[in-house]
Amino acid sequence: MANIIANLNKAFESRIRLGIMSVLMVNESADFSTIKDLLELTDGNLASHIKALEALNYIESTKQFIGRKPNTKYTITDLGRQSFQEHLDALENLIR
Amino acid sequence: MEKQLEDLKAIREMMEKSSKFLSLSGLSGIVAGITAIAGAAFAWFCVLNNPSANCFDRYQRISVLLADAILVLLISIGFGIYFSVKKAKKRNQKLLNRVTIKTIYNLSVPLITGAVFSLLFLYRGEPEIVASITLVFYGLALVNASKYTFDEIHYLGITEILLGIGAAIFLHNGIIFWTIGFGFCHIIYGLIMYKKYDLK
Repeated sequence: MANIIANLNKAFESRIRLGIMSVLMVNESADFSTIKDLLELTDGNLASHIKALEALNYIESTKQFIGRKPNTKYTITDLGRQSFQEHLDALENLIR
Repeated sequence: MEKQLEDLKAIREMMEKSSKFLSLSGLSGIVAGITAIAGAAFAWFCVLNNPSANCFDRYQRISVLLADAILVLLISIGFGIYFSVKKAKKRNQKLLNRVTIKTIYNLSVPLITGAVFSLLFLYRGEPEIVASITLVFYGLALVNASKYTFDEIHYLGITEILLGIGAAIFLHNGIIFWTIGFGFCHIIYGLIMYKKYDLK
């Protein structure tokens, strides 16, 4: 049992981070406001969690301009995909 | 244990919500089906099988059928949008997001191609094949868009394609296949989806 729990990733303890990773697992990319609307969050709240995931190299951002408006797009990294998959497997093993 | 279960549920919901167009209502299918049957009945009793309509020439009759079909299409799309707006509001979601636009785009490419083909054949004075063309291209459009919405749409698409091929084989009974495909299939699938997703 202790072994299984060890596979749970502390970085994904928060429901918001789970949400961000879930969105980026099934979408090629998503911009800030799309994620914000989906998770029903405020700017500041989402930004701090995104920063944390970026620091872990689980997601990466690209800045671009749509017309004159800056727009930040997020994608999941290979490391992020792998880590999240391991976390998912660990969750599933736990409830089995 | 509770938290893990809740986590998994939240993950699955967020994956679905962010990648699928879930505001589609079964009611849209039911209304589209009823409208299609009414349109087909009008076409059959007032034009195709009406001896007194013979005083019109071929092109006048084709024009009436085309107007009939366009009216059916507009009513179906109108109610489709209306029920989607209602369902999105009920689920507290924005209707117009990236997934909705992707769904509409994937639906439109085969659909507009089919519409152009239909008009070309009507213009050449071969309306018999149009029932088959509309069914086949509509089916392809549904299969194409189904990856962004409920699985039932995939099977509805396959059904429409098969009926379209049937309509091409039995060319002069095209309207029967058309009525089954656009009428009864819509109602049946609409009821299934309404029961499965809307009543929740």
